Amino acid sequence: MTDDTTPMTDGGTDEQARTDGGPPATVPPDDETPTWSERKEHTQGLAQLTYQYFERSRREDEDLRTESTYVERDVLGFPTWPHETLRNLAITSFFVGMIILVSAILPPHFGDPANPGSTPAIILPDWYLYWSFGLLKLDPLNPDLAVLGGNIVMSNELLGIVAHGIIFGVITLVPFLNKGSARRPVEQPFWAAVGAAGVTLSFTLAALAIQNFFPFQLELIVSLTFLLPVVAGVLTYAVLKTMREGYMYDLNRRYYMLRPPK
Amino acid sequence: MSLKKQDEMDHNAWLKTQDLTAIETVFLTTLIWLDKRLRIVDYLELLETMYYRANLQMPKSHTEQYDLDNKFWYWYPLYSLGSLSIIAYLVAAVTGALLGFYYAPSTAGAAAQGDPTAAYDSLVAIMTDVQFGFMLRSIHRWSAQFMVAAVFLHMLRVYFTGSYKEPREVNWVLGIVLIGLTLLFGFSGYVLPWKQLSFWAAQIGVEMALATPLVGEWAAQLLFGGFTLGQATLVRMYILHVFVLPFVVTGLIALHVGIVWVQGIAEPH
Ligand code: HEM
Repeated sequence: MTDDTTPMTDGGTDEQARTDGGPPATVPPDDETPTWSERKEHTQGLAQLTYQYFERSRREDEDLRTESTYVERDVLGFPTWPHETLRNLAITSFFVGMIILVSAILPPHFGDPANPGSTPAIILPDWYLYWSFGLLKLDPLNPDLAVLGGNIVMSNELLGIVAHGIIFGVITLVPFLNKGSARRPVEQPFWAAVGAAGVTLSFTLAALAIQNFFPFQLELIVSLTFLLPVVAGVLTYAVLKTMREGYMYDLNRRYYMLRPPK
Repeated sequence: MSLKKQDEMDHNAWLKTQDLTAIETVFLTTLIWLDKRLRIVDYLELLETMYYRANLQMPKSHTEQYDLDNKFWYWYPLYSLGSLSIIAYLVAAVTGALLGFYYAPSTAGAAAQGDPTAAYDSLVAIMTDVQFGFMLRSIHRWSAQFMVAAVFLHMLRVYFTGSYKEPREVNWVLGIVLIGLTLLFGFSGYVLPWKQLSFWAAQIGVEMALATPLVGEWAAQLLFGGFTLGQATLVRMYILHVFVLPFVVTGLIALHVGIVWVQGIAEPH
């Protein structure tokens, strides 16, 4: 074997002929990499706080992993790949087929050209905006909101916009109001009831948007718009409470089965 | 030390020493030829790893993997609704790009009130003259409807499985932005054909904007190009629909799914 410093036949060495800069001067051994706590000592202020927190969070993670005795409650998330992704691809590719099939069977309608001079009898957006359109038809409520000597507080249009703001605002607040680890609706009948009321409200608001199709008085429709969601909420609550009894019974069956049969 | 050509590297010589069938020879020669130029062995290795990961885990159902035994969760298929939103969005994007070849965002050409405009005529042309044009428009419409429906149902699934709880609040709020933008997507698209309902839906939009205190007039100028509807409105809706929203929504969906990827999916237990 020759090494880099052995003279070659032309008198030079490989070392001299080298064009790649040579091997790195020093290779830092692994144990020279500073540990978290060493780095923490070298830093100060916010950076130090960050390292302190990282260390705590790491330790917590490790403790949770080593001490966990059961799989169920303490798993925070399941891997996206491959379980979720593969199932989703299977189901969604079926639905792409459905989109194409439905498109072939039910081609979209096409109306008359725009005419700024003639307002159509029925103005409607696509179905998914009916609820929003319903919110713009809350003007029968407006006089009831009067405070200042019978003057309405805001124009009817503004009422509709404020209603949109309230709905988006409430939905945004949900994660900050409902905390805890419960996941199934039976575990939290109240929040499931709120959800059911919300879904019903979106339907009743849509119905309000197409109020001309209903042969009732407008007042009745407006009342139903807000009454039906409450009814749906109460029903959901009652059903889930009842289901929960059975659910708890299952969980507690061991307790009931304690006495040995004769 | 200079590298010398060694016997081990002479793949062709190695080939000759092997006792191979014709198919094997052709296969190996091609493989060597490709690998020398494209370094495909590295990528084959990646593929192999993926293949084993998928195959080792697929036959295990989620319930087996996590020892959930008898607790089969019958909402399971509803967890695909987020992906369905994405797929429907992609279908709409592809068909939309094709429709864009033929659509003209212009109110020109109407001699009197209520006459067809260039935009309206271009849609008529798409439906009657363009090969598969009617089908294209139909798929675009339906995939948009599927997407909106899927997004609504996805939101309900997240709500009723309590998946918005810590640490997923950010994704919930991001989702609300996404559903708002999805509805805006639908609205701006509804205006483009410039038919009666398009016009009057936009009219309601302008009126809503104008009724908003402080920012109302500014918003009406920005989104609708003025307080009365016309060419400016159509172009703004067009740019919103085919340029601004596609970029913003695609980016936000990527962020949304990226966060899901990092956090894992909140299965109920
Ligand atoms: C353009 C619209 C949307 C798209 C493309 C989308 C896509 C997705 C996807 C693919 C997932 C993975 C899990 C699954 O498929 O169910 C997901 C999860 C999630 N989405 Fe969406 N989403 C959208 C809108 C929304 C909306 C409107 C909300 C709620 C207001 C929301 C909140 C969430 C949350 C909290 C998760 C995490 C759930 C979990 O980890 O189980 N998303 N989204």
